[in-house]
Amino acid sequence: MTIIRVKFRRGDEVKFISHLDLMKVFERAIRRARLPIAYSQGFNPHPGMVFGLPLGVGVTSEAEYGDFEITDDEMSAQEFADRLNLQLPKGVEVLAAKKKASKQNIMATIAASEYIVIVGTPVECNQKTLKVSIDKYLSQKEIVVKKRTKNGVKDTDIRDMIFDLNFELQPCGDFNIIRFTALVSAGSKANLKPDLLIESLCGYLGFEYEIDRIHRTKLFVRSQDQLLDPMEEVV
Amino acid sequence: MSVKLSDALLKSVEKPSRYTGNEWNSVIKDPKSVDIRFAFCFPDSYEVGMSHLGMKILYHLLNDRDDCYCERVFAPWTDMEEKMRQNNIPLYGLESKNPIRDFDFVGFTLQYEMSFTNIINMLDLAGIPLTSDKRSDSDSFVCAGGPCAYNPEPLADIIDFFMMGEGEEIINEVMDAYAKWKGTGRNRQEFLEDIVKIEGIYVPAFYDVSYNEDGTIRSFEPKKPDYPVKIKKRIIKDMDKAYFPEKIIVPYTDIVHDRIMLEVFRGCTRGCRFCQAGFIYRPVREKSHKRLIEIANKLEESSGYEEISLTSLSTSDYTELHELTTGLLDEMEEKKVNLSLPSLRIDSFSLDLMEKAQKVRKSGLTFAPEAGSQRLRDVINKGVTEEDLLNAVSMAFNGGWNGVKLYFMLGLPTETMEDVEGIADLAYKVVNAYKTVPREKKGKFLNVTVSTSSFVPKAFTPFQWEPQDTRENLNEKQMLLKSKIRSKQVTYNYHENRLSLLEAVFARGDRKTCKVLLKAWEMGCKFDSWGEHFKFDVWMKAFEECGVDPYFYATRRRDYEELLPWDHIDIGVSKKYLISESKKALEEKITPNCRVNCGGCGATIFDSGVCGGN
Repeated sequence: MTIIRVKFRRGDEVKFISHLDLMKVFERAIRRARLPIAYSQGFNPHPGMVFGLPLGVGVTSEAEYGDFEITDDEMSAQEFADRLNLQLPKGVEVLAAKKKASKQNIMATIAASEYIVIVGTPVECNQKTLKVSIDKYLSQKEIVVKKRTKNGVKDTDIRDMIFDLNFELQPCGDFNIIRFTALVSAGSKANLKPDLLIESLCGYLGFEYEIDRIHRTKLFVRSQDQLLDPMEEVV
Repeated sequence: MSVKLSDALLKSVEKPSRYTGNEWNSVIKDPKSVDIRFAFCFPDSYEVGMSHLGMKILYHLLNDRDDCYCERVFAPWTDMEEKMRQNNIPLYGLESKNPIRDFDFVGFTLQYEMSFTNIINMLDLAGIPLTSDKRSDSDSFVCAGGPCAYNPEPLADIIDFFMMGEGEEIINEVMDAYAKWKGTGRNRQEFLEDIVKIEGIYVPAFYDVSYNEDGTIRSFEPKKPDYPVKIKKRIIKDMDKAYFPEKIIVPYTDIVHDRIMLEVFRGCTRGCRFCQAGFIYRPVREKSHKRLIEIANKLEESSGYEEISLTSLSTSDYTELHELTTGLLDEMEEKKVNLSLPSLRIDSFSLDLMEKAQKVRKSGLTFAPEAGSQRLRDVINKGVTEEDLLNAVSMAFNGGWNGVKLYFMLGLPTETMEDVEGIADLAYKVVNAYKTVPREKKGKFLNVTVSTSSFVPKAFTPFQWEPQDTRENLNEKQMLLKSKIRSKQVTYNYHENRLSLLEAVFARGDRKTCKVLLKAWEMGCKFDSWGEHFKFDVWMKAFEECGVDPYFYATRRRDYEELLPWDHIDIGVSKKYLISESKKALEEKITPNCRVNCGGCGATIFDSGVCGGN
């Protein structure tokens, strides 16, 4: 058995499909490509695929990852990627593929994610005042937000989940466009959704705002207290 | 110009991928490269519409023409509709996102009566005048086809022209005629004059209807002598040569039937007297198993689907079922494709097949005896005996199955309370059959589900003259069954009979029912077949305001002499035959199926299928 790790992007064309539906997209593309995917034994055989962190509905990404178990050890990662790309719908595209040595499950090792969030606000602001305010926001010991979970709304401290937060201000007529770059905790242990961070920040700043788009730029796995690119960790 | 669907809008609605398109195998063309733009509209949600085989066939058939671009349109769910109205977004084609009011044709498929208000709602959302008399030369042609088109009259004011019969056979001729007409400067009326000469085309505006004082139809006449007096349905004679796409669209989101559907034949030889499909799709025409396996392979390759299901009315009547299923199992096993079988007639072959083919959870098998007594099953010509049923369930229980679903209808012609009690008796006989099976062979916990729906008399059936049972009677019958079925092993479900009353009105409605549809829509009715949106009281108010009595259509017995609203449509089966079947029903006499003995229904005129061939 060989496991191939794949990095792929999700464009505008497919940003409104759910994570579950995306898995079906891959399953059917693999069947069309006649790739030697391994199936689970048992009553209801499932293809051996594991994906990284599910992407929110409406979010695009250039850093999605999936591990695919294949039965043909001879097949190169490149051939796997090329054949798969021919069968993927518009908007889903494999960017890189590598054979994976470690047994670590992509889903379990995801630790951080970087997003670009483009926000529009009618509030007047400039580079300097915004910088001061954001620094002040980040200097709080505790940042409590209302997080929706399966069991209802829960107060959660997100301060430690924000690793880095930068911004670029682009005035646009009466409107200000702020382009945030946020590095936040991700994965099963602690996960901060970018829209929740922006809601908390803009609430703190007293900004009326509208999120124009969210795009995932990076995803990291943790290996001995280090954040690594999932493709780097592979070899 | 494409419509603008902002992220914020799409994020705010349920299942946005219903509205964004781009699915695998959907066809994207440059609108500038085609002469004809066709909006194929399914008047229900994406999930229901995408499961419809006819749409899959006609979509690709039209798109295989270089001069035509066919796009899909579904009824937006109410949350999306609200956003579209708020933001002035007109109904658009899923492929190009262009407003469909700019298309040449807006075509609806009519699968069930309770989707009619969605047609009106979709035209309104598109910005197309709701009735044909209001449309001008710059408006799209609104057309329709499908099973409900066989009684087109309730939509006569709304639809410009109907296509009767099988779409693959007729639609290309209409497109060819349009290609010739377009750009000539001749007006809308003249195009309709052109196509009314094509067999199977019905232009309601070309006919005058007059009524008797009692509300029945006095006359139905073409306005000009060269319009056809009878409109004949079109059928495909050779199913193996019929157009079938090599690709089907693979949706992103879950739909009702998310698999390859393999249509093995059209029509049905059984002749159940309540079943409209059994008459309008005559004669039975099969595809060869070789052609079906070829189609299955091509579709599997191009879609990546992991499941194939066989579809047809009464699929186990397929003469090459053995060859087909063993062939498919051979081909599909290594591809890990699952074969899902429809409800088959249960014998040792089909049980064996189900074991092999399906990952059946051994709980559910479905049977449709339809009526509780042999007498009533003879009236409806069901052709199933109690012994057949009990043999089948015993065999299934011996094979480890432990769940049986039984479907029945209440309110069938001549039904008595004894027939109704017979339903409960039959359920208990099934329970007893389970008790006689050795413990080690059968599954734990028997579960028998009895479901009843209310009989709706339909056009072109031997029961087309029959009154529908009153709601009071139906309620009483439902309550009787409820009181009779008091076992933990039997569950009784029954359907809402208020919806059946409306179905009965529009299944046999005339042109006067058009305005009720328009009124009910105006008063907020849509998605009527979805329980949460069905507004019975509003419907009743609409009837009242229009001065139309629903019971005139639903619960009135017709004379054989009465001119029926659909008498100008010719489905091949003669009225004389339907009358003889109606009389035989009342005499409790059965009619053997077409393969055993040709009953002389008239469908031989098509010179094909099991009757024409033999």
